[in-house]
Amino acid sequence: MTPSAVHEFALDNGFRSLLVRREGLPIVAAALFYTVGSRDERTGESGVSHFLEHMMFKGTTRYAKGEIDLITTRLGGSNNAYTDHDTTAYHFSLASDRWQVALDIEASRMRDCLFDDAEFAAEKSVVLEELAMGQDDPWRCLWETTEALAFRVHPYHRPIIGYRGDLERLTPDDMRAYYRRHYGPNRAYLVVVGDVDIADTERRIASTFAEFTPVPERDAPLPEPARAGELRGAIRAPGSIARIAMAAPVGRMGERDDFVLDIVSVVLGSGRSSRLHRRLVLDEELATSISTSNEPRLDPGLFWIMAELRPGADPERAELILREELDKLREDGVTAEERKRAIMQLRSGFLFEGETALGEAMRIGQFETGAVGGRRRLDDVLRLYDEIGRRELRGAIERWLAPDSWTVVWSLPEGQRALRPRPLPKPRPARAKAGRGHGTVRVAGRRGVSR
Amino acid sequence: MTPAGTSIRLDIAERELRNGLRIIAICNPGVPTFAATLSLRANRLDEGAGEHGLAYLVGACLEESTRHRTSVELAEAVEGLGASLDTHSSGGTVQCPAEEASRSLRLLREAVFEPAFVLREVRRVQQEIVAEIEDDDADPRALARRRFHREVYGRHPYARPSYATAEQILAYRPQDLKRFHQRLFAPREGVLAVAGPLPVDDGLELATRAFRSLRGEPPARREVPPPAHLDAPRDVHLPLRREQVHVYAGHVGVRRTDPDYIPLLVMDHVLGSGPGFTSRIARRLRDELGLCYTVYASITSSAGLEPGTFTAYIGTSKEHRAAAIEGFVAEMRRLRAEPPTEAELRDVHDYLTGSYVLGLERNASLVNYAIHVARFGLGLDYLECYPDLVRAVTRDDVRRVAEAHLAPEQMVVVSAGAG
Repeated sequence: MTPSAVHEFALDNGFRSLLVRREGLPIVAAALFYTVGSRDERTGESGVSHFLEHMMFKGTTRYAKGEIDLITTRLGGSNNAYTDHDTTAYHFSLASDRWQVALDIEASRMRDCLFDDAEFAAEKSVVLEELAMGQDDPWRCLWETTEALAFRVHPYHRPIIGYRGDLERLTPDDMRAYYRRHYGPNRAYLVVVGDVDIADTERRIASTFAEFTPVPERDAPLPEPARAGELRGAIRAPGSIARIAMAAPVGRMGERDDFVLDIVSVVLGSGRSSRLHRRLVLDEELATSISTSNEPRLDPGLFWIMAELRPGADPERAELILREELDKLREDGVTAEERKRAIMQLRSGFLFEGETALGEAMRIGQFETGAVGGRRRLDDVLRLYDEIGRRELRGAIERWLAPDSWTVVWSLPEGQRALRPRPLPKPRPARAKAGRGHGTVRVAGRRGVSR
Repeated sequence: MTPAGTSIRLDIAERELRNGLRIIAICNPGVPTFAATLSLRANRLDEGAGEHGLAYLVGACLEESTRHRTSVELAEAVEGLGASLDTHSSGGTVQCPAEEASRSLRLLREAVFEPAFVLREVRRVQQEIVAEIEDDDADPRALARRRFHREVYGRHPYARPSYATAEQILAYRPQDLKRFHQRLFAPREGVLAVAGPLPVDDGLELATRAFRSLRGEPPARREVPPPAHLDAPRDVHLPLRREQVHVYAGHVGVRRTDPDYIPLLVMDHVLGSGPGFTSRIARRLRDELGLCYTVYASITSSAGLEPGTFTAYIGTSKEHRAAAIEGFVAEMRRLRAEPPTEAELRDVHDYLTGSYVLGLERNASLVNYAIHVARFGLGLDYLECYPDLVRAVTRDDVRRVAEAHLAPEQMVVVSAGAG
């Protein structure tokens, strides 16, 4: 996609649109991104962003409860929504001769959500069931525990779905106030991709959204302070499988090191030829699966390593080997072959993300709302991968993946003995950066909660 | 999602190779990507006595070493093209950038037809499957689903999980895998579908070059007696200390070739698998009562060459278990007593005839479509007929198939988790 392929315009009230004309099937994807997510929640109101996203389907002054789904169904389309730490997004895929109904629906949802008491109570039960479902998911428990340890001050500390107590206490008035504070034209980005007439679409958007009044701009959350040394935790899960999550703080989405760490992530843990898969799954036969993820965030995010062990495998030995591989990577760097293979995989992943109109719309919206440089950074992605050399890879590994930078959490089977305390890590190499707290990003690794 | 729900004509062509492999190519113009799926006749119904789980194990070993490369060399070759390879007991799928189509097809062929079944690798994969079984043992949803199939399918082979038991899986030696593979992995009666930006003739040619030298014929398909319907309801609960309980309720379903399939597809969307929360069950149990996050019901989604199941599922709190099951039964009965309203039927017609094009954007979906129409003898022009088939379904048709195929009085209910 070239820079000129995106037509961008803004209304006086701050509403911004990004339009892309795409040939092929007569499909249009329209996605509205609000710059609000669990990052914007105050103490005691955890989970309100996600719960609010649910309520946006439960009635506005113009659309009764369920009507948005019904209209979409009648038009032969699909719609959904999700909330993550940084954003809330609502999206439609519809035929190109009728997609404009999405604009009317989003306009109504931006200002006129009802928060009927009975609907609020019924949907609260749904959200609490969703929370319960997550509590039964060992991976979700592990991620949330790891994030709670890795972020002590920044609101990324809290789970997107919220805490049960906060959700139970939340009232329709609380939610209404949150909605008024965060949902407005200046906090929204509309992305439209597909078989559209750009000039006509621009006119329609202007006539639909021009009259809306702006809401307060987004507050910056408290930054995560630098920390010295590793953090560790352990939780228990039913069954016989031990799982580990290791997370290291990294830079922001769209920074150059974000793309560097994408390559590192593939070399380390993406695919059967990756280092960790070969060592832990194939050679040592300790794990059944391994993955790494350079996770996108607006504020400093995390680089993840996750592994699921074979029943009965020794967690201490598995962690020792993970550490050995990280040491090797830091000392020897990435080989030319590994670099080349990783770039092929990343290029290919980028192509596959753009296979559908919705995939392209979501990627543009996520970069625009989350990345340094916004959606224009997308134009650099493939070039950046190509120009990042082995020396730069080594520098990023030293900066971000130092031995004591990790938060390590084990999920151990009930009944299995706890791990022995690890000896203190070796002192950090002199070249490692002292402060931490800049996140990194990858669209494919985005973690959110869907309706 | 064609304007006014008209039909879509794909650029699609087919040829049959001398070795009996049927090749279907679809042109998806302008996309920079390519996908291919190979679907062989082999499947778990070919397992003989004492071979339970062998098809699954063979499928899982196809990404390991081949006669020409080690497991790691195969992975490096695939990933070096920017491709992904997934294999299973009936073949596999490869996806890649379009310019790597030819090399990716050759790797798919090598993985599926030329595995080495090295002892150490087979042993490792066996352990990985045992881990999967143990993981499922602790997962209430997987546990409930496994038991549900056991109860519904009775003596039919689908009563067993495809991975069998840990004991059975661990008993196989590489020569067992080699024998099974040699017997069943043959091109005849197989289908290879490819989709990408290539003109269809080029796609056919590319696939022909990669697969024409294969030889072999699988044995005749084993006829399996269809599963019997239960004559009385059954209710099983497997208690586990969890937040939620996962409930599966249902009975034996239909084959994809059942003449009632399309009316049942419409029925499913009225009853339990409409988009959003538009179906009766989702509207009632989630939207109105707030009992759950996930709920659905369907008879067509599992219909295959063998009968599938009618399955209603809900994940809910233990205090809602009874209300959820009552809700399933009430809506099934209501559909038999009260056919869909004109408005409900029109909504489903509009959705089904309008939305299917959304599934045609990805090459992977296009090859799935091609395999589907080939396997079930629907004809390559099926998409063109599909809107008319759906629109022909009347309210009476839905009531008739609900009466004929839903049995709320003879359901198996299996739950696992809290309670």
